[in-house]
Amino acid sequence: METKPVIAGLFADTPQGPRLLGSRCASCAAPYFPKSAVCHNPKCGESKIQDAAFGPRGRLWSLAIQSYAPPPPVKFDEPFKPYAMGVVDLDDGLRVLGRISTDDLRSLRPDMPVELVLEPLYHEADGTEVITWKFRPV
Amino acid sequence: MRDVAVIGLGMHPWGKFADKSVNDLCRVAVEAALKDAGVSWREIEAVSAASSRFSGGKGWGLNGNDVVEEMGSTGIPVYNLSAGCAAGGNAFNIGYTLVASGLYDLVLVVGGEKMPKGFIQTSGLEETTDPEFLRQRCVGMPGPAFWASLCWRRMKDYGTTEEQLAKVAVKAHQVGKHNENARFRQEFTLEQVLKSNVVSYPLRLYEICPVSDGAAAVILCSAEQAKKRTSKPVWVAASAVATASFDDGITRGLGGLGPSGPTLHSEAKLAVEKALKGAGVGQKDVDLVELQDNTVYYELAFPEEWGFCKPGEAEHLMETGETMPTGKLPINPSGGFLCFGEATTAQGLFQVCEMGWQLRGEAGARQVPNARVGLAQTLGLGGNATAVVLKR
Ligand SMILES: [Zn+2]
Repeated sequence: METKPVIAGLFADTPQGPRLLGSRCASCAAPYFPKSAVCHNPKCGESKIQDAAFGPRGRLWSLAIQSYAPPPPVKFDEPFKPYAMGVVDLDDGLRVLGRISTDDLRSLRPDMPVELVLEPLYHEADGTEVITWKFRPV
Repeated sequence: MRDVAVIGLGMHPWGKFADKSVNDLCRVAVEAALKDAGVSWREIEAVSAASSRFSGGKGWGLNGNDVVEEMGSTGIPVYNLSAGCAAGGNAFNIGYTLVASGLYDLVLVVGGEKMPKGFIQTSGLEETTDPEFLRQRCVGMPGPAFWASLCWRRMKDYGTTEEQLAKVAVKAHQVGKHNENARFRQEFTLEQVLKSNVVSYPLRLYEICPVSDGAAAVILCSAEQAKKRTSKPVWVAASAVATASFDDGITRGLGGLGPSGPTLHSEAKLAVEKALKGAGVGQKDVDLVELQDNTVYYELAFPEEWGFCKPGEAEHLMETGETMPTGKLPINPSGGFLCFGEATTAQGLFQVCEMGWQLRGEAGARQVPNARVGLAQTLGLGGNATAVVLKR
């Protein structure tokens, strides 16, 4: 089956496992996802942006369950099935949004430990599988 | 800076008006405000207008120019202010500044909008530099889900229940039913709110404000003009605008800095603090608050974030009736966005109108007894917020 990333350049399957691709400022350590060309921290002495990979471990800060079929630009496979998404605080300092990978929505709780995975988000008309990053409870 | 008075208040009721243009809505609001102030259109020296992304403005957000053409092309300066849902508050701030600076004596501030159907959406372009587009395409998170995630955290931190969330909506409609300008004037029972469709758990349909069409306008003037023209001026004690700070922990895009402190809308907190300080009043001096309740979550979270009550105390105040007009912390006596719906650029001005009527003692069945000081706040896309303090 053909697969492709939902948006190119946001994540990669590295030899160490899945990672989010962003950047970090070498002077003040501020993380950015997606990549930023400059550091936006007003307290930063000098913007020194370098490529950085984030993940895989973190904690679910909060979550929401999408209970109705959302309008574009959200895409999903028919028929619509409710799904969870949330705010995750990664151990390396990035706070990031992500889909939560689970079949048991009722089991989810804030502060749960999670890890980064790359999984299908939806399929295109020609069958191409579109991949995004998600967080799986561990 | 000079003292500035609000001497004219006008509104077109909120609703859905398929056969009216945004110019039609604005004309009604502007004519009402002029009449209330006893000012003719030809006397207005400048216009500060909230710039709409969705309607009118010749497609370029030139909404103030449309209003001037509609009312009569007198050649006066127009300022079109864009700040998402905070645009009405932003336009008020510029109108205030124009009078306070001494540049003009009589200024019209106006906002009007006709909204597209459904919850507020992205620009419609598949633009990978747009954080809103990325959030929806990559994560599947529309606006209500973002609010729901904040709400779920509140439930974890303070034990807020689904019933308490629903009670905020019930309370809004108990008050809003008395407001002839509100779109939804029916009461809801707790059961009706809890049985309304879950949009994004834990938030239900009746706990989220819909989109509406509406317009509001106010006339600002110098103290000298106010003395000549009215016996009941309402004074602008302070008007403030703020943007978000770098480290506040609200995920405005896909990701960013983990917060070092509590997660809150820093732009709203900054604007409110700046306005209270500018007005020289403390939270205890404020008799009513009009805040941006896109969802019931904000009516609980904002008063705590701004120091009006202790963290986790808002549910108790709401359940004991203290946030009703007759309570010790009246919140949204207008009925708020839950009863009006969002006409994004106009809403900062409906808040000013409501405060004006309250401070003049003209709010009828939703009157806050002996209201002397009011605070209103807006929050807009891009980390924009405004706050204004009016006093009698
Ligand atoms: Zn930096």
